[in-house]
Amino acid sequence: MSTLFSEFDFKIYPLSEQAVTLTFGSEIAEPTAAKIARFNLLLEANPFPGFKGCVAGYTTLSIFYNLLEVSSSELCGDNGFEKVSHYLKSLSDNSKLDGRNFTPKRIVLPVCYVADYGLDLDEVARNAKLSVDEVIDLHTRQIYKVYMIGFVPGFAYLGGMDERLATARKLVPRAKVAAGSVGIAGKQTGIYPLETPGGWQIIGQTPLKMFDSDRSQPSLLKAGDEVQFKSVNLEEFKALEK
Amino acid sequence: MMTISILKPGILTTVQDGGRKNYLAQAVPISGAMDNLSARIANIALGNEEDSATIEFTYAAAAFKAETDLVIAYAGDGAMLVADGVQIPSERPVFIPAGTLIKLTNNPEGATTYFAIAGGFEVPDVLKSKSTYLLGGFGGLEGRCLKIGDRLSGGENLSSLSQKIIASIKGPKISWPAWFIPRSSLLPSDKKTMRVFPAGEFTWFSPDSIINFLSKDFFVGINSNRMGIQISGDKISKRKQDELLSTAVCPGTIQVTGNGEMILLMADCQTTGGYPRIGQVTAVDLSLCAQLKPNDTICFTEISFDEAEMLYIQQEKILQKIKLAVKNKFLS
Repeated sequence: MSTLFSEFDFKIYPLSEQAVTLTFGSEIAEPTAAKIARFNLLLEANPFPGFKGCVAGYTTLSIFYNLLEVSSSELCGDNGFEKVSHYLKSLSDNSKLDGRNFTPKRIVLPVCYVADYGLDLDEVARNAKLSVDEVIDLHTRQIYKVYMIGFVPGFAYLGGMDERLATARKLVPRAKVAAGSVGIAGKQTGIYPLETPGGWQIIGQTPLKMFDSDRSQPSLLKAGDEVQFKSVNLEEFKALEK
Repeated sequence: MMTISILKPGILTTVQDGGRKNYLAQAVPISGAMDNLSARIANIALGNEEDSATIEFTYAAAAFKAETDLVIAYAGDGAMLVADGVQIPSERPVFIPAGTLIKLTNNPEGATTYFAIAGGFEVPDVLKSKSTYLLGGFGGLEGRCLKIGDRLSGGENLSSLSQKIIASIKGPKISWPAWFIPRSSLLPSDKKTMRVFPAGEFTWFSPDSIINFLSKDFFVGINSNRMGIQISGDKISKRKQDELLSTAVCPGTIQVTGNGEMILLMADCQTTGGYPRIGQVTAVDLSLCAQLKPNDTICFTEISFDEAEMLYIQQEKILQKIKLAVKNKFLS
């Protein structure tokens, strides 16, 4: 069934001489994120001359390009920004991509929630007035949405944590948090891709490398993916770590 | 193969090329030369690909030795090069015989200097770039700053243009040609005023703050680094108390933090940010920003987005002409 209006309704502004940002909404919402992921795919399948790549935000998709290639292209418009804007609007108007066929990739992340790795598991449980097992159960039960990758290489902004687990950040941040640490900060949960300082409440650790500059896709997760955590014991963790 | 060894590394010395542009979606910063124009000019003077890897020196206080005969070029305002007591001019190819000691001496003009070698510095590609990203610990030489004893070599595959340039100056002692690439002709005369166009949240700020932003002098803070330049001075206040949801940012973006201070994002900046943005420094002025030192004055003047695009295209056209002129000089 076709509709008169495009499913992609966005505002557009220049981010730099060689990038524009499309705004798809004003609040963090799963349908908006799904639209962004779909438009990203649509554009990657139908690139314009000079197109370099996209960066997803919570409600935005930024599109990077080579201005010289855009300027010398046959696209309609008086300057680079107009040419790109015009192309993106006509792409969205003529979109034949069927949203119902879009299935996000689901990634299962093994996490070891034992004391050696879940440094703040007790604190999170106490704060939530739950047992440690209940915390693990609530954390592994949800399907999380990857809204965006940002902050440091491979860091995923995840949505969908059970609000009963919400815990304030640590009063004193740790000078070092191990790569792979799984934490909670307020209503967010996330995984540290690199060893960095950090103030999140650490509830476990994944043996998988969230970021590896030797891989062709260095970040394990991408915007639009879905994530589920799976509890593993120490032996399984050690085996997967190799 | 041309090789140097580091005798004194200086305070922040890294290998940088044209940057890592294909992994922004995975939050890998662009990195690359902070003063892209200087790095490109040093490479063009040698017949290298213009985005070949160079060594980025921050200030002076560094020294290295020619382990072999070298053909090099440098550009930028952070230091001047002195080879066995002879001051060598910038922005042109220079022949330096093996065994020469090369020192960087202070240049009060700026902060960064780009040292290029014929063939470009050879370090492994990481995610399709040779640029060092210190926070991630990858790229360049083992993902770190250069240190005493490091040896770096130029690539073996010299372009035919490089070979001609080398042949034109090779000899028993230090020598250079009269021709050079006048970088100053590509720069505005006012090196402290950055041209900006309004960024996404420009209208979130109070009218007074916007007037101050576009008229007052600000100062470069001491906490500036490859990720960003801290800008101190009058505080910028918001008239709209909205929170920005994290979205893409890039070098040149000026963010306003919770306490009203501005941060101008540079080469190693995060790919996304949640601070509201007041302006975007036009791409051609980022090379000027890279030369700013703590306590330097910086001010901002508004241009239209159209003009920003034109400035960029104009600069690229001039660089293409310069490249062609160097090529025609040797390969016609």
